[in-house]
Amino acid sequence: MPLVSLQNVHKIYRIADQEIRALDGVSFELEAGEFAAITGPSGSGKSTLMHLLGCLDTPTTGRIVLDGIDVSQADSDRLSHIRNRKIGFVFQSFNLLPRLNVLQNVELPMIYSGVSARERHQRAAEAVELVGLSDRVQNRPLQLSGGQCQRVAIARALVNHPPILLADEPTGNLDSKTGADILALFHDLNRQGRTIILVTHDAQIAAHARFQIEIHDGRAATRRTPHPVS
Amino acid sequence: MNLLVGLLIGLKEIRAHKFRSFLTMLGVILGVASLLSMFGLTAGMTKGMRDTLKSVGGVEQVRVVQKEVSQDLLPLRDVSPGRTLVDAMAIKKGSVLISHVSPEVNLGGATVSRGAHTARIPVVGATEDFLTVNIHEVAAGRFLSALDGERAQRVAVIGREVVRELWPEDPESNPLGQTVLINGRPFTVVGIFNFYEREADRRRREIARSEGRTPSKSTRDGWGMYRRKNQTVAIPLRTLFVEFKSGVLGPQNEDQGPDHRLTDLVLKVGDTDRFEEALSQVANILNFTHRGIDDFGFDTREDWFDRIESSARAARISGGLIASISLLVGGIGITNIMLASISERVREIGVRRAVGARQRDIFAQILVESTVIGFIGGLLGLAFSVVLLRLLVMISPAENAPFVEPGAVLISFGFAVVVGVVSGIYPAWRASTLDPIQALRYE
Ligand SMILES: Nc1ncnc2c1ncn2[C@@H]1O[C@H](COP(=O)(O)OP(=O)(O)OP(=O)(O)O)[C@@H](O)[C@H]1O
Ligand SMILES: [Mg+2]
Repeated sequence: MPLVSLQNVHKIYRIADQEIRALDGVSFELEAGEFAAITGPSGSGKSTLMHLLGCLDTPTTGRIVLDGIDVSQADSDRLSHIRNRKIGFVFQSFNLLPRLNVLQNVELPMIYSGVSARERHQRAAEAVELVGLSDRVQNRPLQLSGGQCQRVAIARALVNHPPILLADEPTGNLDSKTGADILALFHDLNRQGRTIILVTHDAQIAAHARFQIEIHDGRAATRRTPHPVS
Repeated sequence: MNLLVGLLIGLKEIRAHKFRSFLTMLGVILGVASLLSMFGLTAGMTKGMRDTLKSVGGVEQVRVVQKEVSQDLLPLRDVSPGRTLVDAMAIKKGSVLISHVSPEVNLGGATVSRGAHTARIPVVGATEDFLTVNIHEVAAGRFLSALDGERAQRVAVIGREVVRELWPEDPESNPLGQTVLINGRPFTVVGIFNFYEREADRRRREIARSEGRTPSKSTRDGWGMYRRKNQTVAIPLRTLFVEFKSGVLGPQNEDQGPDHRLTDLVLKVGDTDRFEEALSQVANILNFTHRGIDDFGFDTREDWFDRIESSARAARISGGLIASISLLVGGIGITNIMLASISERVREIGVRRAVGARQRDIFAQILVESTVIGFIGGLLGLAFSVVLLRLLVMISPAENAPFVEPGAVLISFGFAVVVGVVSGIYPAWRASTLDPIQALRYE
């Protein structure tokens, strides 16, 4: 059974009389352990697709199954639960809480899964170590560089051990050197067995992915590269 | 998310914005302080009035009064002898629930004189129980004894005000053994009553004395009750009958024989818990002595206390309403600031939602924050009211000094917490219904 499965997914926004088909019949399947890249021009629907995969929203029609759970019509609480357990989300703009330090930011998802304070500390410290920031646990996000911030965000996405890691243009706010480092981190994580789906503008980056999803006007074309450039 | 985590987040938020949080709390602080002060003031006022009432006979005092006979018994009215010494004796013997019985006769418009000094002061014929029932105390000499009554002795116990009027040259002396004339008949002074005054006046007098000043004369005197009490002249009841009531002249100047009717019959109930029982017991006895004619009734202090209670309640409610409004305004302040702080934290809420916070987690977080503000504001309000009450104690008359009942503290503080909770509901609802995607994109 595939880890991610989309069947004829539509997302339609209606503003006044206008109908915006942000996603217009997207179908694909993704096995566990894949590394998928979503590409496409601006406004094509990449972020919309990520939001659906990340359970921040539900499709207008169509079916989405994540890790065996049909999330297409799930209610708000159920979606929250799935976001908490099944999804790790990395944003372009990091989205760290400025008043919390690194460790506290990484602990955040576990607060909503009822993990005890002690275990929270321990697991957060492990995740921070995994992204190579053990010496900055007490720092606030504003005291970190962009690349470090994104590492913290990745640690936060990993800390609940979700089966799916989503990243919407994770290198968009970083210079090319730092971006490459972050990308290398994603590849490392993938090698360790994590399933990763990331959105990118960079054809170079996409070329490294085994599975490519190209979106145009809300329609997706998928391609599998048996031996990606690496 | 458990409550403790929510509480920690709320506290952290408040600590991060100390000054803003304090300003937010200010409304609650002032509201609680004014609510508690108001409770203190009315409690003090009620207590002052109660104390005054107590000094002239507390709730255990019952007055047997004359009453209109009911219609169907009207023709038989004269069958009843009215309130007499017989009643007093029957009650004393027959009712175990009545501890003291004081039959009294007032000699209205009596003249009491000594040499050139004359005063028109009511003279009361009394028995031993008079002292207890009317909360009198003897400062010097002794009170009237049973023997005085039996022998119809011409002795008198007089109040301080009487001494001052008849011995103007030495108003604070105790003229024991001296003679006064009551309606022209000589009586020996055997006792002097205490000087009665309000607690506040006594304190003022003592302060004045310790500072070596002559105390200014008090202008208020507790509804005139203290003054009247200080003017008492008590003589044995039997003496009064013998000397002044032995031959009463009727309308045609004919001698009607001795008049044994009482002007007052005052009882003291031994156990106030069995008040009603005692009253019905007395009523039974009086029904017998009055030969079935219902020409008597009871006047209890209960009615007075009820009146005080209801006026205090009115004051409490109106004052409480005003103070509550200020607390509500404080609540609106909390709502306002919480809304502002939410619009500052839209992105944070988006992030929390993205990592798995449910709507109710966000709701709880905001509600806990406003509750904590109400809670801390309530505590600070209590602290502030300590200062405020101390100020009020200084400026209000001593016997009405505001004091704080535990219930008032609980109500004021509880109200502050409730205001905190309620004022957080709308902001919490707004925050929890934000769309996570929009919130994440919010700049
Ligand atoms: N909430 C919304 N309401 C209405 N239209 C929306 C909404 N969100 C997205 N859209 C529209 O859906 C289409 C797809 O938007 P989306 O954000 O998915 O594009 P994208 O591929 O992520 O673009 P970019 O590369 O610039 O980030 C766009 O035309 C956008 O205007
Ligand atoms: Mg986008």
